[in-house]
Amino acid sequence: MSFVIVRDVIKEYETAHALRGVSLEVEKRQWLNMVGPSGSGKSTLLNIIGGLDSPSSGSVTIDSTGIDRLSEDDMARFRREKIGFIFQQSHLIPYLNAVENVMLAQYFHSMSDEKEAMEALARVGLSHRIYHRPSQLSGGEQQRVCIARALINSPSLLLADEPTGNLDRENTRVMLELLRKLHSEEHFTIILVTHDPFVSKWGQRIITMEDGRIIQDEPVHV
Amino acid sequence: MLLNIIKRSFANQKKAMLLMIASVAVGTAMAASLITISLEISGKVSKELRSFGANILIEPRLEGLADISGQKRYLRQEDIVKSKTIFWRHNILGISPFLDTESEISVSGVKETVRLVGAWYEKGLPLPGEAKEFPAGIKTVSPWWYIEGQWPDQADKVVAGTSLAARLGIKKGDSLMIDGKGFVVSGILETGGNEDNELYMDLGHLQEFKNLSGRVSRVYVSALTTPMDKFAYKDPKTMSRPEYEKWYCTGYVTSIAKQLEEVFYGSRTKPIWQVAETEGKVLERLRLLIYFLCGIALAASALGVSTTMIMSLLRRIDEIGLMKATGADSSKIITIFVSEGFVIGTIGGLLGYALAIAAAQYIGMKVFNSAVEHKALLLPVAIGSALVISIAGTILPIRRALRIKPAVVLKGAG
Repeated sequence: MSFVIVRDVIKEYETAHALRGVSLEVEKRQWLNMVGPSGSGKSTLLNIIGGLDSPSSGSVTIDSTGIDRLSEDDMARFRREKIGFIFQQSHLIPYLNAVENVMLAQYFHSMSDEKEAMEALARVGLSHRIYHRPSQLSGGEQQRVCIARALINSPSLLLADEPTGNLDRENTRVMLELLRKLHSEEHFTIILVTHDPFVSKWGQRIITMEDGRIIQDEPVHV
Repeated sequence: MLLNIIKRSFANQKKAMLLMIASVAVGTAMAASLITISLEISGKVSKELRSFGANILIEPRLEGLADISGQKRYLRQEDIVKSKTIFWRHNILGISPFLDTESEISVSGVKETVRLVGAWYEKGLPLPGEAKEFPAGIKTVSPWWYIEGQWPDQADKVVAGTSLAARLGIKKGDSLMIDGKGFVVSGILETGGNEDNELYMDLGHLQEFKNLSGRVSRVYVSALTTPMDKFAYKDPKTMSRPEYEKWYCTGYVTSIAKQLEEVFYGSRTKPIWQVAETEGKVLERLRLLIYFLCGIALAASALGVSTTMIMSLLRRIDEIGLMKATGADSSKIITIFVSEGFVIGTIGGLLGYALAIAAAQYIGMKVFNSAVEHKALLLPVAIGSALVISIAGTILPIRRALRIKPAVVLKGAG
């Protein structure tokens, strides 16, 4: 059975259809990239898979759990157990330093452990920036803090929404190499949204969305 | 971690936090100072109301043949000091005995039968085993009596009520005959009551003159009392033992009257209801007003905290959305806000406590002209009020925070 199963998902807003019956299966440990123009529905689909948004109809199953049937609090608990998020704008709590931002995810999961959080930051190459606030870090460094935070609770699914959207090519490459390394070591599943053709080539599979539908699903040819 | 979040969150929004702490401190100070005043108001207002006059009357008990025949009965003067031996002795602020007699007076050839009353104006009663004397006399129960001239301190001196003096043309310094004996009018008395038609002389001299040594007709008592409540109106004869003990040991005017009756031989006591009830009603209304003002102060303060916290929440929407996306469920979000409220409440409560002490003293001095006793209860009351304000103030922000949709606030392009 696939690790992520999306069945006939429709997402309607008052004036628009964001998703028009999307079905998708993602295998465990797979790295899937979603590409498409703005407004194609890729971020909406990612949010629905991550339980941050709910579908108007259809179902989403992750690791055999039907998440569309979970209450908001159960979804929050499921999310902290199974899912890690990386956003385009490196959403970090501005008044907490790097290690505290990582520890925040631990605190919501169970108990915060500073040593473990420092190791996570060391894994993303930030052992020298542990006590720096987000405003004292570069965009690339902030995204690496986000990776450390997303992975601190050992999730089985990493969802990334335009994680390199604000980075230059060099920082994008550094971050993707880091993700590849961590993916090969920790074996989590990645679903990554991007509109950058350079980024889309780093995964194992690529789907293309347009107007709320998947119009293409193919393996990545390196 | 929670401590870190709160600490950093406070440092990050200093102005908002200071505003909330100030709001809590002011509300707490208002509520705690009013509560302190309300705890003391009974005693202070009761003391103020004592200027209304005596609230207990002690008379000889008339029963059996004496009652039927109309035979004159008296109380024993020696029992007066016993009023300072009862359970509520410290609440007896004033006591004044009166001896009522009738005499024929003759002024400038006009004869009339008038009431001649013996009383003390201001007398210190020695109490057995105590160095300090107990103040007794008219001044302690009816301080508004006005004498133009002097209270009669000699055996041949009297004061005449103003109406009687006007009717008989008596002036200060005039001579008159009472029961064939010559007296000098040392003053004219004005009370606005029946006393204006009577003649007054010193109690001891009248007892001697009328051969009624050691006897008094009635005694007025001014006592600090607990306002009458529903329980106080219950007939003591129908009370169970514990009820009776509670009634007896509460300073109701009825229970103090009962205890006085027990020490005055052959007496019956009557609360002077127009005074006792007025006190109760005034106190009840004052208390109600205070509690009402407390409620308003607490609600206004909570509203201030709530508004500031909502304003602060609007700036923290991304943060809350991020926390939810990172796995914070409702309980974690509530914990963060309530903890912030708790810290604001504790700091605001301590500041409010300091302000309340000063405010209570100020109000006490301005309103009652006396300091308010510092109650140990004030600190927990202040902290409790502050926590109520700050936690109540977090309810609306929490509700709004729980409604935040992470997908909306963290929306990326797509």
